[in-house]
Order: sequence, then C-alpha cells, then structure tokens
Amino acid sequence: MQTSDLIQLLKEKAEAVQAVVVKIKTLKEAFQYTVDLTREQRGTSMVAMGLKTQDVNLLEKACNTADISFIKPPLRSHANEIHTALTPVDWGIAETGTLVLDSSSEDVRIATMLSETHVALLPVSKIKPDVTALENEINAVLKADGSSYYAFITGASRTADIERVLAIGVHGPQELHILIMEENRE
Amino acid sequence: MIKTAQDIKSYKKQLKEALSDQFLRTALDNFNCAYRENRSAVYEGIDFEGIKKEIAAEKDAALPRLMELFEAFKTHAEAAGVKVHAAKDAKQANEIVASIAKENNVKKIIKSKSMTAEETFLNDHLENKGYFVTETDLGEWIIQLRKEGPSHMVMPAIHLSRYQVGDLFETVTRKQQDSKNIDKLVKVARKELRPVYLEADMGISGANFAIAESGALGLVTNEGNMRLVTTLPRVHVALVGYDKLIPDLKTMLRILKVLPRNATGQAITSYVTWIKGTVECGSSITNRKEMHIVFLDNGRLALAKDPVFSEALRCIRCGACANVCPVYSKVGGHKYGHVYIGAIGLILTLFYHGKENDRAIVRNCINCQACKEICPVDIDLPHLIKKTYRAVLDQDGKTPIKNVLLSKVLKNRKLFHFILRNAYLAQKPLAKKKAMIRHLPHFFEKEHGFRSLPLIAKTPFRDQWETMRPQVVQPKYTIALFAGCAADFIYPEQSSALIKVLQKYDVQVEFPMDQTCCGLPALMAAEEETAKEVALQNLKAVMSEKYDYILTLCASCGSHLKHNYPKIFKDASLTPENLKAFTDKIIDFSSFVVNVLKASSKDFNVTVEKVAYHSPCHLCRGMQVTNEPRKLIEIAGYQYVPSKDEDVCCGFGGSYSVDFPEISAEILKKKLDDVQAADARILVSDCPGCVLQLGGGMDKRGGEIQVKHITELLAETKI
Repeated sequence: MQTSDLIQLLKEKAEAVQAVVVKIKTLKEAFQYTVDLTREQRGTSMVAMGLKTQDVNLLEKACNTADISFIKPPLRSHANEIHTALTPVDWGIAETGTLVLDSSSEDVRIATMLSETHVALLPVSKIKPDVTALENEINAVLKADGSSYYAFITGASRTADIERVLAIGVHGPQELHILIMEENRE
Repeated sequence: MIKTAQDIKSYKKQLKEALSDQFLRTALDNFNCAYRENRSAVYEGIDFEGIKKEIAAEKDAALPRLMELFEAFKTHAEAAGVKVHAAKDAKQANEIVASIAKENNVKKIIKSKSMTAEETFLNDHLENKGYFVTETDLGEWIIQLRKEGPSHMVMPAIHLSRYQVGDLFETVTRKQQDSKNIDKLVKVARKELRPVYLEADMGISGANFAIAESGALGLVTNEGNMRLVTTLPRVHVALVGYDKLIPDLKTMLRILKVLPRNATGQAITSYVTWIKGTVECGSSITNRKEMHIVFLDNGRLALAKDPVFSEALRCIRCGACANVCPVYSKVGGHKYGHVYIGAIGLILTLFYHGKENDRAIVRNCINCQACKEICPVDIDLPHLIKKTYRAVLDQDGKTPIKNVLLSKVLKNRKLFHFILRNAYLAQKPLAKKKAMIRHLPHFFEKEHGFRSLPLIAKTPFRDQWETMRPQVVQPKYTIALFAGCAADFIYPEQSSALIKVLQKYDVQVEFPMDQTCCGLPALMAAEEETAKEVALQNLKAVMSEKYDYILTLCASCGSHLKHNYPKIFKDASLTPENLKAFTDKIIDFSSFVVNVLKASSKDFNVTVEKVAYHSPCHLCRGMQVTNEPRKLIEIAGYQYVPSKDEDVCCGFGGSYSVDFPEISAEILKKKLDDVQAADARILVSDCPGCVLQLGGGMDKRGGEIQVKHITELLAETKI
C-alpha cells in the first residue's frame, strides 16, 4: 500500500470511531494545534510525555503564553487536573485507525488515561497497514525480560451499556486527536 | 442476589413476569434490532467461516495441554515479578483474593468487568470480609447499585431503560438527572467514579487472554476503566479461567479479529491492553505494582478432557449467542442463564453452578440454530444444550413422564401411527365445520390458545399413496419421499402437491411405507436412545441404492436426517455402514427442483400474486439453503416480496411451542407483524411446522394472508 493510501485509510477508520485526524508538517505546528485546542475547550492545563527536553521547553513556553499551566511529571499527584495530554505514539495501524503506545511508564498511562483530551503525534513512517505487520514488534516487547504495559488505542473511550446507545467519553479521554506528521523533522 | 428458578414450575412463573415487563420489552427490542445490522457491516471483507474454523482448531489443540500452557505462562510471569496462584474452585479463588487484600493492608477495592469474578461471586465474599468494593464498568456499576447479576456477558445492564438508570443515579447522587440524555448519564458515572479510582488500594480485573509464550495478559475493553483499575491502585489481582490460556500472540490477534466484531459490532475496541509483570506504580512503596494472577479451575480442567463438552471451553465470551437468540430477546438475560447468559450459559451453568441452577433454564432452547451460526468459535450450542439437558436428567435420576411416553410411542411406529389416526376422531367435535381448531378444550391452559390448530387429516398421505403413486417409464431420477409426520398425517395435501409438481419432470417418486418420525422430537427431549432407535428404523426403511435422492418436505426432518444422524452415531463402532450414503442423498424440495431438475419459468403460469417468504431455521441454518426457495417462488411465476427478518425463528420449535407457549406466541407475534408489514397476499415456507405455527397464528388474528407450503404454491401454477 502506498503511503498516501495508508494515511487515508487510517484517517477514515479513526474518524469512523470519532477521532479527529489532522495532517501537520512540523512539531511546532503540533504544539500550536494542541495549545489552540486546549484554549478552545477552555482547558487550563497540559502535560506532554515522550518528548525531547528541548521540545518540552518549547511547548512549556507556548503554554505559558497561552495561560495554560504546564504540568510536569510525576503526574500522580495531578491526576485529576489534566486537561490535555500530548504524546507521540509508537505506531499507527491503518486498517482499524489504531494507535499503538508502549505505556510501561506510569506517567504515560496517567496522561493518556486521565486527561480529558488526548492529542497523539503519529509520524507517517510509523503507519502500518494492519496488525499482522506489527506482530514482531509487539512480541519483542512482550517477550523481553521485565515488565510492560502495552496499549492499542482506537478512538476515545466509549460505552453502549445503556440501551446499547453509543456514548463517547466514559472513564478515559473524551476526545482523541491524531496529528499525522508528514515530515520526519528532527 | 441471583435467584435462578430450580424447577420448571417456578421458572414458568418467572418467565410470565418477564414477558409482561414493558421496560424490559422496550430495552430488548431496541437492543436486538441494531446488533444484526452493525455486525454484518463490520464483517465485510472478512472470511468469518474460515476464521472461525481456524480459531476452533487452535482452541481445541490448546485444551489437552492447558497445564503445559499454564506452566509456561507461570514461568514467564513469575520471571517478571508476578505471583501466580491456582484455585481449584470458586471458594478457593475468593479466599486467595481476600488473603492478598489482607496481606497488603487493603481497604478499598475497585473492579473492572470480569465474568469470572461474577462466576465466583467474588464481590459478596470480599464485602463479607469488610472490604469496600466498587465496580467501575458502567453496566457493572449499575447492576451493583441495583444488587443484581448481569443480564448479558458484554452489556450487563442491557435489561434496563435509560429512565431506570436515571432514577437509580438520582438516588446515588441525590441530584436530579436528565434521564432522556444517555450522554449525561454516562458522565455521572465518570464524575462519581473518578475519586474512587484514586482512593483504591487494590484493583481487580479479569483477562481475555493469558499468553503462555510471554506471560502477558491481554484485555479487550472500551470504557477505559480497566486501564485505570490496573494503573492507579498499588495492588492488581487478575482472576482468569484456565480456558483463557492460549499459546501465543498470533492466536490472540486472530481471536481479536472476531471478538469485538461479534460482541458489539466494532472492528476493534477502544482499548486493547497487554499487561506483563510488575509495572511502575507510584502508589506502591517499592514503586512497582504488586501483581497477582489467580487461575480458576472450578471444573474447567475436567471439562477440557470431556469428549463431548470440551467444545464449550472454546467460548471467548462475546455474548453473541444471546444477541441473536429469539428466546433471550423476549425474556432477557436474568431468565436466560444463571451467571453466564445465553446459549453458552445454559451449558456452562451445569458445570460451574450445578444442576439445580440449570434444571429449568436448560429446557428453554427452541433449537433455531441462530446461536450456532453466529458463534465465532464454532461451538455447536443447540446440540450441547440438549446434551446438557440429558446430563441434568441423568444427574437428577428422574425422567419426566412426557419423556417416558414420547420414547415408548416413538420407538413403535405402528403404535405411533395408530395414535395419530385416532386423533382424527378425537378432534372431530372441536373443529365444527372449520378447517382448524380455534378454541381449545378446557383441559388445555389458556396460554396455548395463541394459534388455531390444524386438524389431523382424515386420510393420511400414506393411505392415499397407492392411488397416487406415479408410474414413470424412463425416470430421470428415482427419489424416496421422506414426508415427515406433518406432511403425512396433518398436511397430506403438501405431499400430494409435490407429486403433482414432479409429474412433468420424469421423476419416479417412491414412498417407503416403514418410514417413521425422524426422531428430532426425541432428541429435543434429550431422549438420545430413542432418537438412535428411530434413526435405525428410518435408515432401514428408506436407505436403498435405487434412490438418487431422499427428498424431504420438512426442513427440520431434513436437517435432522442429514446433520444430526451422524452426531447420534458419533461413536464409530456404532455407525451404520450406509450412513454417509444416506446423508449425502438428503435434499430439500426447493434445492431439488431448482438445482437438480433445473426448473424454468416456462414450466409455470405467471400470476400477479405477491408472495412473502419465511425461511425455516432448519433450512437456512440447518441445511444452509437460502437462495433456492426464493428463486423458486419467482420461477413459479409469483412475485417474491422481501419482509423483515425472514430468517428469524417463527416460534414453533416443535414441542417447544407446547412447553413454552407464551414465549412461542411472542416470537410469532413479531414474525406475523413483520409479514403483514410486507405487501403480500401469500406467505410461503418450506416446513410444515412453520406452516402450522404461522397459519395458526394468522388465522387466530384474522389476518388475510394465506399461509402455504412451497409445494402447494408450485402446484397452483404448474402447467
């Protein structure tokens, strides 16, 4: 499958499960998107996990300018205060619109589970056509010595427990935004 | 909390209550309709039949080596810091979990959904020990607050309407709730449960998979609560049945293709999570999670070795067998299972919760085969339900009088037919001048009056045979007609219509006189020995090299002869030599006329009549014949008008409609409503049982639509 087809399929499938999918070019653009989104939603706080130190500094500055408090790990004591969580993800799976994220770090888990809005950064080069194409990668994590917490995330949290009517945003994030990074910057 | 009826009398009382519960009716109707549509859309491009055979084979291969898989899992999990426990029964599992709580000085516990924990009644045990337990899955939280058991394996509170949930939440929050708005109700749970996660000392989850090659658990969820339950508290206990052990990731990914699709019509759930070892945890003094996995036996290891019932352990708990069950859709899960719900529940209850809890519910299968068709791991659920019923009867050591009589009569063809002939005389005063009995005599209870009953014919088909027997000089085909009891003694006109239709096709029809009941009623009553004896009589009577085909007019007889006979003689040492040749020759009327005779529209007059079709369970699912009858209606010069849910059961089910008349009536009601909504003047089917049910129901409601067997339809336009 061609890259553009992979992107298109992932977008289609993720949107079908109420994720918002946006193509961006640079990390700076991603930061701006996340800051703007947080302000739009009247959020007042943000966390970011999995970024390089200099990028964290950039984002923190952007947050400060926008009057958004930038929370730094460890996150446990802030568990109830996180509006937006920005994290890169390890892989994308086009056929189901799924994001794959090694969540062994507790802060990654708290960020992606307790935030109101999860913004995920997905480089184009990390999009795989289907889950079979990732079997070795998943197995490498699971079979490695030590512990792991590995996650597939597809859309926002949801339920149909009342009258089998779909409702979005139960215990996990209420919104999932996927920023597809077209360039492998940095 | 769960009160499952332990005898048929109190069970019927409960069923009556369920049928008159309007909230339940609305909830189940809404639930039922949407599922089938969602599901078929999400399976597009996926070879369901192929994948289900693969998974079944993988699961079967894993069962004899469960202990080996367990040891491998244990080695890998322990290497990653997990404490692995083995519990022989529910009591021991609960005690292990409670002792883990005690050792870790736990006070508050949060849970994500686990059917295995429901199976052991873990909450009751922990609460009795003084722990404060909160369910966090929305449905589970609702039923915990209502002090109920789950009514569905995937959607535990599906028996409730939004208004009932709204009222409940008003009590819990002491605030007014907007019950019309489900989104707002969901947010109540989000808000109320957030602090509970953060305060909990221990999280309990189940698992969908225990992967032997890595020692990781696999969990498939939607709400995000399981992720919080396994992340925030310092202790995590997973309660897992041995049947969840699989060899490798590949197997899990294959099952993952069907589990969400079958369960909720999703291509994948919001979250799929793998947890291995003692992950980082800030609330633990060691900064690592205290992680325990408790494997539950509770009969599974013995079941894995059972030559018949081990198949039930393939179950991946998708809940689809309940979603498509016409009986479930009328009475709901609390009346259609004990802890485990739906078709699989009628089976597992015997093994996990004992015969007392299964005694009544196991009888409530109409044998429509819808569950078997939808099952993603190819469990022959209707077959196992009857086997379970037999096991319950054996364990109880009592045979119902009905079964004794049935066996005695069916084993003796002459006695059986003598009774049928004399029934004609007995019913005469009831019928007056009508063709049907509209008012049953008083010794029948009034719930049986939902349909008019046909009369036993004055002259059965077998007595008309000599005058009707065609003489074909150079027959293209010689066939044996297996009419079935109904097309012989109740509706001989359906059989004579067949003779009329086949006249012009150079088919020599024979009617072997010693044929008797196919034996399905005996199997439905779990009288396997009788079913076997009757099968042998039919094999002797009907099997001959001179027949090219054995043609059936009754879908139930046809699928029983073709697919149940081999199961009856599963033990190779008992298999009659000619069985395979016999089953290969079984064919239904429509397939014979369309595929073998290649009938064309030139053979029929054209009419303007519009015809609706009811697809008999045992034809579309039993014999996998779906296109031929519809094609045949058009070939025969009629206009076929599709109607809603044509392949959903009509509620007959043979003796089912006598045993559970009120449920049968409800299923029939929906069926007739759907047919009447279509623009047709005739309703046709290819099973005399369905014709009896549909015709009787239509007559009773004074409907204008004529109900016919497809042979009769063809006889009318045959040139």
